[in-house]
Amino acid sequence: MSGNKDSDGGWRKFLWNSEKKEFLGRTGGSWFKIFLFYVIFYGCLAGIFIGTIQALLLTLSNYKPTYQDRVAPPGLSHTPRSDKSEIAFSISDKDSYTKYTKSMDDFLQPYDDELQTDQMKFEDCGVTPQSYRDRGSLEHEAGQKKACRFHRSWLGSCSGVGDTSYGFKEGKPCIIVKLNRIVNFRPRVPSDNQSLPDALQGKVMPNLIPIYCKNKREEDKSKIGEIKYFGLGEGFPLQYYPYYGKLLHPQYLQPLVAIQFTNLTMAQELRIECKAYGANIDYSEKDRYQGRFDVKITVSS
Amino acid sequence: MGYGRSDSYRVATTQDKDEKESPKKKGGKDLDDLKKEVPITEHKMSVEEVCRKYNTDIVQGLTNAKAAEYLARDGPNALTPPPTTPEWVKFCRQLFGGFSILLWIGAILCFLAYAIQAATEDEPAGDNLYLGIVLSAVVIITGCFSYFQEAKSSKIMESFKNMVPQQALVIREGEKMQINAEQVVAGDLVEVKGGDRIPADLRIISSHGCKVDNSSLTGESEPQTRSPDCTHDNPLETRNIAFFSTNCVEGTARGIVVCTGDRTVMGRIATLTSGLETGKTPIAKEIEHFIHIITGVAVFLGVTFFILSLILGYSWLEAVIFLIGIIVANVPEGLLATVTVCLTLTAKRMARKNCLVKNLEAVETLGSTSTICSDKTGTLTQNRMTVAHMWFDNQIHEADTTEDQSGSSFDKSSTTWVSLARIAALCNRAVFKAGQESLPILKREVAGDASESALLKCIEDKNKKVAEIPFNSTNKYQSDKHYLLVMKGAPERILDRCSTIMMQGKEQPMDDEMKEAFQNAYLELGGLGERVLGFCHLFMPEDKYPKGFAFDTDDVNFQTDNLCFVGLMSMIDPPRAAVPDAVGKCRSAGIKVIMVTGDHPITAKAIAKGVGIISEGNETVEDIAARLNIPVSQVNPRDAKACVIHGTDLKDLTQEQMDDILRNHTEIVFARTSPQQKLIIVEGCQRQVLYSHANNQNPKLCGLLFCQGAIVAVTGDGVNDSPALKKADIGVAMGISGSDVSKQAADMILLDDNFASIVTGVEEGRLIFDNLKKSIAYTLTSNIPEITPFLFFIMVNIPLPLGTITILCIDLGTDMVPAISLAYEAAESDIMKRQPRNPLRDKLVNERLISIAYGQIGMIQALGGFFAYFVIMAENGFLPSVLVGIRLNWDDRSTNDLEDSYGQQWTYEQRKIVEFTCHTAFFVSIVVVQWADVIICKTRRNSVFQQGMKNKILIFGLFEETALAAFLSYCPGMDVALRMYPLKPSWWFCAFPYSFLIFVYDEIRKLILRRNPGGWVEKETYY
Repeated sequence: MSGNKDSDGGWRKFLWNSEKKEFLGRTGGSWFKIFLFYVIFYGCLAGIFIGTIQALLLTLSNYKPTYQDRVAPPGLSHTPRSDKSEIAFSISDKDSYTKYTKSMDDFLQPYDDELQTDQMKFEDCGVTPQSYRDRGSLEHEAGQKKACRFHRSWLGSCSGVGDTSYGFKEGKPCIIVKLNRIVNFRPRVPSDNQSLPDALQGKVMPNLIPIYCKNKREEDKSKIGEIKYFGLGEGFPLQYYPYYGKLLHPQYLQPLVAIQFTNLTMAQELRIECKAYGANIDYSEKDRYQGRFDVKITVSS
Repeated sequence: MGYGRSDSYRVATTQDKDEKESPKKKGGKDLDDLKKEVPITEHKMSVEEVCRKYNTDIVQGLTNAKAAEYLARDGPNALTPPPTTPEWVKFCRQLFGGFSILLWIGAILCFLAYAIQAATEDEPAGDNLYLGIVLSAVVIITGCFSYFQEAKSSKIMESFKNMVPQQALVIREGEKMQINAEQVVAGDLVEVKGGDRIPADLRIISSHGCKVDNSSLTGESEPQTRSPDCTHDNPLETRNIAFFSTNCVEGTARGIVVCTGDRTVMGRIATLTSGLETGKTPIAKEIEHFIHIITGVAVFLGVTFFILSLILGYSWLEAVIFLIGIIVANVPEGLLATVTVCLTLTAKRMARKNCLVKNLEAVETLGSTSTICSDKTGTLTQNRMTVAHMWFDNQIHEADTTEDQSGSSFDKSSTTWVSLARIAALCNRAVFKAGQESLPILKREVAGDASESALLKCIEDKNKKVAEIPFNSTNKYQSDKHYLLVMKGAPERILDRCSTIMMQGKEQPMDDEMKEAFQNAYLELGGLGERVLGFCHLFMPEDKYPKGFAFDTDDVNFQTDNLCFVGLMSMIDPPRAAVPDAVGKCRSAGIKVIMVTGDHPITAKAIAKGVGIISEGNETVEDIAARLNIPVSQVNPRDAKACVIHGTDLKDLTQEQMDDILRNHTEIVFARTSPQQKLIIVEGCQRQVLYSHANNQNPKLCGLLFCQGAIVAVTGDGVNDSPALKKADIGVAMGISGSDVSKQAADMILLDDNFASIVTGVEEGRLIFDNLKKSIAYTLTSNIPEITPFLFFIMVNIPLPLGTITILCIDLGTDMVPAISLAYEAAESDIMKRQPRNPLRDKLVNERLISIAYGQIGMIQALGGFFAYFVIMAENGFLPSVLVGIRLNWDDRSTNDLEDSYGQQWTYEQRKIVEFTCHTAFFVSIVVVQWADVIICKTRRNSVFQQGMKNKILIFGLFEETALAAFLSYCPGMDVALRMYPLKPSWWFCAFPYSFLIFVYDEIRKLILRRNPGGWVEKETYY
């Protein structure tokens, strides 16, 4: 088997030894035996592996992952999303923003009112921010939970109902922001006013996670202009929480906030940072989407 | 008065050696030429002819003008250093040779892949760049390490140069002048005196008691007389040539320079030695074979997955990056360092056992050795003449020849012994050097020649008083009350001068019966290879020689015949005590021990029998002929297992005859061989193919390319051995008695000069070969759990389970100490009871090792790692079902709301932390399964329960790798530095079942292997 790989003649003989009827140094029978061995061996291994995976699955809950320490505190994600969080478009060129509006259409599609008509699955949770809506324990009560309706119209000029371009064609782009879903997570309102930005001071509503955007760079301060917030209470109202997970809460609609930049300076890259504020919402140096995000917007004419 | 036969035995040489005998034209014409014998003819010319030849004058010497002319023509009288390899070339060899080349290719591929990625992607992953840098760093560091390890060696020419004298006394234009030895030219008239080194090859024209020490050329330490007469056709044996760089011990001589510089006998040996090309060490060949296998597997996997990824719809560029990634993942980064460290450790261990290894790779060579060509003097013997037997009172008495005086002694009560001892003491110029009273007699140093020292040591301990009698040192006559004439010398010539013989202290007339008894004793002792001396004395009648009689030794004016014969004493350089045992061990280890000596065949044979090189009951052709009383020619050579070959016969042998002798005799002694012949013998041995072991290999089928010859070790101590030492696969020099040159030419030095240390070397060499197998099996196994994650990443689009950094942490971190600890593993069975490995079949790394490591254990390990991966993913919310195919979204930075199985949404960074936690867990799992792997790799056949867990380093290694893994996982800051995250304690246990499975599986495999020797399991899985 060994040693005969160096010269040409050796190679050929190694490949097919007509004397001993050997292919690659083994006879047919020998190949069959070793092949059979490996088939059985790997078969057994596969069995053992599947067995251990099954054992693993048995230890898992259907409703709630074992550990949530990595997914919480929640991320703050936005639509349209973009490579390197850059949104750049030209007002006059429709094609430059259709990919954004398209993704917003897709994203808002589940929020269409006609999809929320089923009374068995949806319920109204009020038009003002209210406290958590507890729907029983996660583990014991089986059966699907009802979801709170969230009307697209609440997003005002960013709902895409009147203006299908979400303000893009006027140079007043909207982005839609959501707090990432986490099973059984109850966001808490900011505990003290200290951490809040000046603009939110005094405007704090109970049962609402406020969101606020501002310029990331000091020199952009005057260039950003007015920012409008749409949505139930212009934040994330608590009655939409907690989320009961995919299995129990398949129709769940997470609350959205639409942000419209109404007066952006044209033809400049502006960095805007949006933050959600809550007692259990944290920010991380490394994770640019945990509880906040920043986005670069360039509007050209 | 001479000794038994000491006067003329020297190296056998000829001028007309057949060209055919020179083997493969390796070193080109020059080297082949050097392998032929010395072309000196001047010894046969008369002094006048020599003078005419060199245009010189016997009184005036050369003229300065002529000398200058010759110097310009011949060049200086110095040894030309061979074209030396510059240091940077040596360094580059270390850097790019063998294993390193594999790592370099890996590194280059990494940089290539990174370049492709950098050119095509905006944010290329740094993995390939880091990997390339780490690979380069590993090669450079290990390269430097081996370079400094070996920087000390290969100073052959320098050591030759140290032998060359600095100054020479020449006579030019009738004036004596001291000149630089380099300025000496052929034809110069040179004067040497005791203590000088001979500045060139000299034709002696006159001498006064000149003796030279040719030991550096011939290995024999007895000083030789030099005189103007030609005594032998052979230039090396004649007395009228003195050789360059040998020592003049006493007397003075004058001679004409016949050869200078590289043309001298010594110069030829030096050039031959430094010019010889040595082949690769066996371990280097094994590593090459290993690289072939690894490369084969890597390329096979790479190409397979290249094609697969093209089929799966990846772009060409991605497929190429995958291809490179897979090939590089197969490179065992830590193995080069592991092998180097293992060899270094063994070298250290051997050094403690008095085997100093100069070249790291030579550590293993002794283990593979199938033939040892041993020099006699100093290696097998004590290199110290000792009185072995005495014959007096018509009886042979045995003296104690052991090194530590533990042997039995004989009856010393006889008055004949007293007389004999007195004669031996009186006829003796040897004296103990001062200041050694505390040492045992045999250990004391003696000034004087070897046989007189032997006599002195023999009698001194018994008759201290005798030695105290003052006596005149130059002549053999001694006065006391009356004068006693004592004489020693060649027995037959002493006997001729005797008319009486002493029996039990009484003089008896010497009759024929007594003469026959003498003859028998003489023959018997001579047949033992011993140097026999006769002793006689005469009480000088007081009337004839009164007190104050003026003895004249030049014009002998006194009686020197009709003396009284007292006895014989015979001397031999006795074998070392440990040698017979060591030879026996070599033999049981399947190693053929051949004696190659410059000594007489009879002495050589006697020693060979004494140490077991010719074992009891084995006969040579001559023995058979003598026993059956038939001519030698009628004996079937095949009947004789042993043979003694004379140097003069050797020169007439063709290569085929030589091979035939080496193949058909198990016990061979080469006597009276020249340095060149030693070289030829070594080459002959290396040509031997181990047909006996490779019995299923048809010798004809086995083409020239595949057939490696036997691996030959040569031991020697003299300059004359150095070509053979260099040519051998492993040259073993003597640390105490060895010349500098031999030490430089050798790969290994026995610090205690003891042949028995070679056995240690063989044992350690075999052990490290076995243990390297284990070490490599251990290291290679973790390659599979390292590479399968990447394959699954490509094939089923799961998030990457194990990253490059963690792979490096395994290969260069946790795997290192356990892999090295396997070098400390004890042997499984008596490795000295089995045959030397057959370089054709017993490979360091073979298909079976790969099959076990990659195909079986590695796969179980991979499953262990994947299990940990799936556990972490599932417990964080990503069930296996959702993982498959998730890769594109998973690795997309802009997706910050990726849904898991529970509907939770993950930002990029959040899920990457989970991914890196998985890498950490996979890494920890590999550590856990490697626990089991290192335990199963401890043995290849035995159960761990038989072997035990006595390897403390290995136990330390287990704790060390675990501690390191814990450190890497839990140390704060590791998330930033290496992207490793703390694991929850339960995740450590994921791989435990798999670790246990590995252990049970392999124990069962080894159980079947032991129960069913030669069965399918052994054929397919015993590596």
